[in-house]
Amino acid sequence: MDQRFIRNFAVIAHIDHGKSTLADRFLEMTGALQPREMEAQVLDSMDLERERGITIKAHAVRLTYRADDGREYVLNLIDTPGHVDFSYEVTRSLAACEGALLLVDASQGVEAQTLANAYLAVDNGLEIIPVVNKIDLPGAQPDEAKRQIEEIVGLDAAGAILASAKEGTGVHEILEAIVHRLPAPVGDPAAPLKALIFDSWYDAYRGVIILTRVIDGAIRAGMKVRLMAKGQEYEVDQVGVFSPKPVVATELGVGEVGFVFAGIKTVSDAQIGDTITEAARPAAEAFPGFKVSKPMVFAGLYPVEGSEYPELRDALEKLRLNDASFFFEPETSAALGFGFRCGFLGLLHMEIVQERLEREFGMDLVTTAPGVLYRVTKTDGTVEEIDSPSKLPDTGRIATIEEPVITAMMLTPAEHVGAILKLCQEKRGVQKSIEYLAADRVLVTYELPFNEVVMDFYDRLKTLSRGYASLDYHVTGYQDAPLVKLDILVNEEPVDALSVIVHRDTAYQRGRALASKMRELIPRQMFEVAIQAAIGSRIIARESVKALRKNVLAKCYGGDISRKRKLLEKQKEGKKRMKRVGRVEIPQEAFLAVLKVGTET
Amino acid sequence: MLGLYIHIPFCASICNYCNFNRGLFEAGLKDRYVAALEREIRAAATGEAVDSLFFGGGTPSLLEPGEIGRIVAACRDSFAVSSHPEITLETNPETSSSKRMEGFAAAGVNRVSFGVQSFRDSELLRLGRIHSADRARQAVAESRGAGFDNISLDLMMWLPGQSRDDWRESVEGLIDVAPEHASLYLLEIYPNAPLKEDMARAGWSLAPEDDAAEMYSWSLDRLDRAGYEQYEISNVARPQRESRHNLKYWTDGEWLGFGSGAHSTRGPARWKNIAGTEEYIARVSCGAPLAVERRDRTPIERLEEALFTGLRLASGIDAGRVGARYGVDVWDRYGPELQPFVDEGFLLREGARLRLSRPGMLVANEIMRVFV
Repeated sequence: MDQRFIRNFAVIAHIDHGKSTLADRFLEMTGALQPREMEAQVLDSMDLERERGITIKAHAVRLTYRADDGREYVLNLIDTPGHVDFSYEVTRSLAACEGALLLVDASQGVEAQTLANAYLAVDNGLEIIPVVNKIDLPGAQPDEAKRQIEEIVGLDAAGAILASAKEGTGVHEILEAIVHRLPAPVGDPAAPLKALIFDSWYDAYRGVIILTRVIDGAIRAGMKVRLMAKGQEYEVDQVGVFSPKPVVATELGVGEVGFVFAGIKTVSDAQIGDTITEAARPAAEAFPGFKVSKPMVFAGLYPVEGSEYPELRDALEKLRLNDASFFFEPETSAALGFGFRCGFLGLLHMEIVQERLEREFGMDLVTTAPGVLYRVTKTDGTVEEIDSPSKLPDTGRIATIEEPVITAMMLTPAEHVGAILKLCQEKRGVQKSIEYLAADRVLVTYELPFNEVVMDFYDRLKTLSRGYASLDYHVTGYQDAPLVKLDILVNEEPVDALSVIVHRDTAYQRGRALASKMRELIPRQMFEVAIQAAIGSRIIARESVKALRKNVLAKCYGGDISRKRKLLEKQKEGKKRMKRVGRVEIPQEAFLAVLKVGTET
Repeated sequence: MLGLYIHIPFCASICNYCNFNRGLFEAGLKDRYVAALEREIRAAATGEAVDSLFFGGGTPSLLEPGEIGRIVAACRDSFAVSSHPEITLETNPETSSSKRMEGFAAAGVNRVSFGVQSFRDSELLRLGRIHSADRARQAVAESRGAGFDNISLDLMMWLPGQSRDDWRESVEGLIDVAPEHASLYLLEIYPNAPLKEDMARAGWSLAPEDDAAEMYSWSLDRLDRAGYEQYEISNVARPQRESRHNLKYWTDGEWLGFGSGAHSTRGPARWKNIAGTEEYIARVSCGAPLAVERRDRTPIERLEEALFTGLRLASGIDAGRVGARYGVDVWDRYGPELQPFVDEGFLLREGARLRLSRPGMLVANEIMRVFV
């Protein structure tokens, strides 16, 4: 394959700005799929992705395009995840490209995620083609969108293409621009093999499937290769491309993008960002930028039915086969029994894992409030990383606690700036900058303790800006903070799964709010239930749930016993979804209520 | 012995809290419905022994005495109705008169159950009832005049805006008219009840559940003192005046239901007739099957239902006998889950007998849940 006729590109877009629809049009217009073969939005292959409109795993599709100059080009569309949780995966996908389309919704304008990913693309030296999409919508303001691309992103929008992926307008121009405005890959076909892994996933029949971009040299079936991060060697079974159906090829040469099967058993052995080289003739150095992705958000996952613990373990192991960034280890809670402490890249990643466990594996789960990774220096000078409130040492043995800090970029219409600043102050934020990027677009940058953001920050940001503000963040470091552990006691017994690590100054308020929330959430039982919030041995709030006095069906509807039975069964089902702590039945929402209870009450 | 339930799905006006199978009265439809009922009963004839007939609704007293008479006759022709059957007619005070009550008595009815609900006119108005407390008293007097010596009144407690004193007034009102039997129901507001909207509009609210518990306990104590005996969670009666028909529901009995939406239980099977009145008439006239939602119970399901319905009775259940009937040791099977309720005094274990205490009756669902 002559590399002069290859173009590798990504599409940078905010959720709902039309990336998947555009990809569908590409597939149609290049004849990769006949229209009747199209299932709407083929690129997002998992149900979950389709439902949420988020692309979780990157994919690569090879399109063959005959351009107006009469030549045939191979266009590799490399799909990227859109969410901040996966920013490392995004950088690897971008590293596999020479260019990118920056897709902006003509009525919504530039969003924070788009901005963050566009910066990443610029940093990676990509050539960018701005595209203003959805110009067919009544609220479309293409000039405003172009102005935002210039003023906010800082790109020349003179060559921006106006398009409606839905109606097919502008798609031909985009394809021509890809051919003529994006550079062809540079690389040495004679050099030792160097190929970047930008995605990998586990397939039950084939083992790990690697998506790779060949930088130098070529990779072919039968070749003995080495994955440079761990130095492990494998023999390549097969290489090929997705068009979008998998097609086996004899080799992938310089600049080409495709899949590799090499009998690899888990994705953690073929991690994103790793470099493939030939074992017999290795490259001098790996492609730069590899790092092991590290979970930043932690939560406990417990089966509602204790007996389902082995099933949960199996399900987690299966997920882990496919997701190297996801971490878990067994954990025991006095309240919830046997479960797992799990680490995630971010909150969305956590939600996705939870949903997959529930949907694909049919698990009924109790999830504890998510927390972050704290660094505790003990009085004996040793340092420990704490991923769970229950692992926090006694106050007497703690010298200092450090918490992770993020830099958060929020892009918002001007009218919500006041409310956002207030929220950030409340969350112990330190303002870095406020920039008026355009008449009505403000970029607010704050340094924020990550644990405050994990709590309920994003929901509140969305609420107070009526959905208009968008957020992007990355972890920038650690800072000392006066943190304490807040415990909740139910009928005198501490419920470990309800403990949280909070800032000392807000502990009282949060304790009171949490106790009162528990009183609302814990249903009346056959006896009175006492709820207390405590810091160490100090009780800072107490509430009680009075004993249940009435739960009886008065009337029998003309001998309708089946109705009675249904009611009892329904009540029983409701009970089943609760966790029994001592004699008290606690509903699952209670374990997540910690999140919803802010300090603003 | 078998009981027969006959459903009459017509009302003169629709009450805002009611979720039963009913619709507005219409003379033409009623005539066709009564004819269909007779036909359904005659088609089900088995000649088996029957000792109770129960006309429920809706408002069965909207039927003419002659129509009730025809339905009773259809039952007598089709089943071996015992020599002293209990034949109950649910009656609304506004449809009653001396003449009609005499007519019903002549048709064979020997027990009337009045949907009085309250002896306070303001509460009746809130419930969308069209009678007054005085009309209710007169209706009882007219029934006595017509020779009825087995009268039951229904009262509802925990009504929107009802105070404990208001409730006492209704209970005293009931004691004054001295029925043989009374049913005391805690209001249940089903999800789409128009009463909900009425409440929101008028700003009426329900008293706390603790008040409901106290209303319930107080009224049962009061009725004890007035010479009534509680025999079921919501029912009290003078000695020997328990409702024979309703007892079948709580004692693992059998009954056949006739009419639209009527429920039947026979051996392992429970089923329900099609609920739509027109659909019911159409199916009867062409001989199409009426049963929908048929459920054939396993022996364990029968045991469970015998246990949770039996616990509604003040005398409870003979766990030994019920268990033996289905080949299960009840205490072995459920004891560990029941013991905490015994410890708290909600469930009383007296030899093989299990019964609920009065506080236990108020939280009966919590205990009955053990059995499903």
